[in-house]
Amino acid sequence: MSQTLFLAISTLGLLAAVGTILARNLVHAGLYLVAFFFVVACQFILLEAEFLAVIQVLVYIGAVSILLMFGIMLTRNIQGDATTTVPQGWTLPALVAGLGLFLVLGFGINNHVGLKNKAAWSATATRPSSEIPKEGEASPRTLAINNMGQAVGIELVTRYVVPFEVAGLLLTAALVGAVALAYREGDDEGTNPAMRARAEFEPLDAPDQNRNGQPDSPGSASLTTTAKS
Amino acid sequence: MSSDIPLNWFLYFAAASFSIGLMGVLLRRNAIAVLMAIEIMLNAANINLVAFWRYGIHAPEEGPLTGVMMAIFVITIAAAEVAVGIGLILLCYRRWHSADIDRFDGLSR
Amino acid sequence: MNFAAEWTLPVMWAQQQVELEWWTWLRWGLWLVLGFVGIFPGVVAYMVWAERKVAARFQDRIGPNRVGPLGLLQPIADAIKLITKENIVPRAADQVVHLMAPVLLLVSAFLVLAVVPFGFGTSQVDNPAHFNGFVPIDPPAGILYLIAVASVGALAIFLAGWSSRNKYSLLGAMRAVAQLVSYEVPQVLSIIPVILWTGSLSLVAIMNQQLDQGWFLWSPPGLLAFTLLMIANLAEVNRTPFDLPEAESEIIAGYHTEYSGMRFGLFFLAEYLSVFAVCALTTVVFLGGGSLPFVDYPRLFGTETNTAYLITNGLAIGITAAKILFLVFVMFWVRATLPRLRVDRLMNFAWKTMVPLSLANVLIAAIWYECVIRPGQPVQALGFSLPKPVLGWLITLPLVLALLWLVFWINRREWNAEVKAARTGLTRGGLPGIVR
Repeated sequence: MSQTLFLAISTLGLLAAVGTILARNLVHAGLYLVAFFFVVACQFILLEAEFLAVIQVLVYIGAVSILLMFGIMLTRNIQGDATTTVPQGWTLPALVAGLGLFLVLGFGINNHVGLKNKAAWSATATRPSSEIPKEGEASPRTLAINNMGQAVGIELVTRYVVPFEVAGLLLTAALVGAVALAYREGDDEGTNPAMRARAEFEPLDAPDQNRNGQPDSPGSASLTTTAKS
Repeated sequence: MSSDIPLNWFLYFAAASFSIGLMGVLLRRNAIAVLMAIEIMLNAANINLVAFWRYGIHAPEEGPLTGVMMAIFVITIAAAEVAVGIGLILLCYRRWHSADIDRFDGLSR
Repeated sequence: MNFAAEWTLPVMWAQQQVELEWWTWLRWGLWLVLGFVGIFPGVVAYMVWAERKVAARFQDRIGPNRVGPLGLLQPIADAIKLITKENIVPRAADQVVHLMAPVLLLVSAFLVLAVVPFGFGTSQVDNPAHFNGFVPIDPPAGILYLIAVASVGALAIFLAGWSSRNKYSLLGAMRAVAQLVSYEVPQVLSIIPVILWTGSLSLVAIMNQQLDQGWFLWSPPGLLAFTLLMIANLAEVNRTPFDLPEAESEIIAGYHTEYSGMRFGLFFLAEYLSVFAVCALTTVVFLGGGSLPFVDYPRLFGTETNTAYLITNGLAIGITAAKILFLVFVMFWVRATLPRLRVDRLMNFAWKTMVPLSLANVLIAAIWYECVIRPGQPVQALGFSLPKPVLGWLITLPLVLALLWLVFWINRREWNAEVKAARTGLTRGGLPGIVR
């Protein structure tokens, strides 16, 4: 039963991936990508890592997809003009490269030879059990699978604390970097109308322009209008 | 489970997704579509990590959750990468008025 | 296992590898259909009726009273109207995405309800003082699952606004997504104290912990977290005062401008179902979901025999429903009372007030944990021992008040500037709508 389930889910996933790379309309490509993320989350559940599946949905579908949609919207290229289609002469090399890579990987998976005393891992047909045994101690992995949230929490502050802190640092750097990339000069008090109004009234210069010398439009705070890109 | 899923099948699915992602990176000309294909590749790698974690025999000193922890960090880094990548694409769009990666040439014009 | 428990036992997952026979699937399927098609749409329809009546009373009028006694058939009339109304979709709209967006939103709202325990269920095998929870499924990462599916709603709203090819829809959708994504952060951060005190992400475990030690509401960090969670819930479901994305006087109904007929009915259903779902979450997490504060009633009758099971769970479902409906009434009350927040003030409130409050609240929650929940002897002071909750209140209450004062003090410059600008009537690029 789980085999048929896996086959069904994998087919949908591969179709979604192919849809992502072939769709002309970028928003449709984004939606195929959301379907692919969901299929990957289902794969994680089939692998009994449901905590990871939930994180996948939360981060990828709940945040990364929205980021990509915003990016599509702000670069105004949904309809699928020339830039989204395949450039001249790249079709065949790309297909060859993709198929070649798949064949190499498939060969590696299929013909793997195990180490000296062990079987080839490609011949592994069943997974180690994750049931808690009725008598005796459960292995740490079994306990971890059965309560993965707690296990991940413990690992993050004991064994993986350095990667955890480095990831936090990296996310802070990404946050600061994203704000710095979007920053435009002269936009200091621009988002708060009250502060901007107060800043405008103090100097006695041109009353109908703000400090940049741009004609002032009402409500030109960055969130209250569509992106004038 | 009546009959379990062999490890190979997960690996083939991950390999196929990775190849499809690679084809996407090479085929698409829009910068955001390339980002989407990169995300496909990252997710394929994640499936690989978690499949090996579940089916393998682990050394006790490594901890019970190596594959899952690696996948969590990959997800974190990928999300940060998409955020910064979208910022860069928006800057390029402001400069060249197009999201076509073939136009992103010349460091200073 | 008695007959009643057999028919309502949730299918536990990943803790035991169970081979399910076909009649287990059948029972589970029947419950699914009953819930989705019967109970929740009915609850939502009468929530709409209740909102209209409550808002009417707050506004000193009567509300619907023509269709049926007390207007009770009004939701049915509304449903018939929505179903038979013509479905007008703009020709330029993206047809597939236009249909998919409300469906995705509704799916997200239903999925949230899959992990909320509405009753007690049966006693756990290894610990008779704890219960399994009357819940379709109880994943060990229940709260994280709930947050994850709630965040899919943001994507659905963006798709709705985008696919309509309408400037106002897009504006509403962008604002809605910004608001939803911003208020997810304090929503999750204010649930973290509860997770800290329970030690588990499962909603059933949280409910059981509250059976042991009282509701999580009765503590200063709990009160602060409950307030922050209620405010974040209002923002997450786009209710007044956070309903700028669908404001009629501002942007012509925002992201559901181009939806009519049953597609609008789907949005309507999804919004009220989300209100119900987040109130249910708040009830289970802070109000103990089904337990009464002073009566040890789940163990009063037990769940051994059929009648005991039915009495305990029936009472539990009734009490949970009463608490959820009270919180829903509070949301209606807030809607009838408060004006709408402007979008930049809304975002500032989320990031500059609620996020610092909820982050520092986690620290205060840890202090509460050390004072009250960690097993150990009560503190000996002045010759007699202080009961642990009293010590906890003594230490955390000043901390919470100091934190509130600190956050308001930090924001005072900006808030005073707003008040002053409003008072002097600045209009050059200033506050829209205040003209002198």
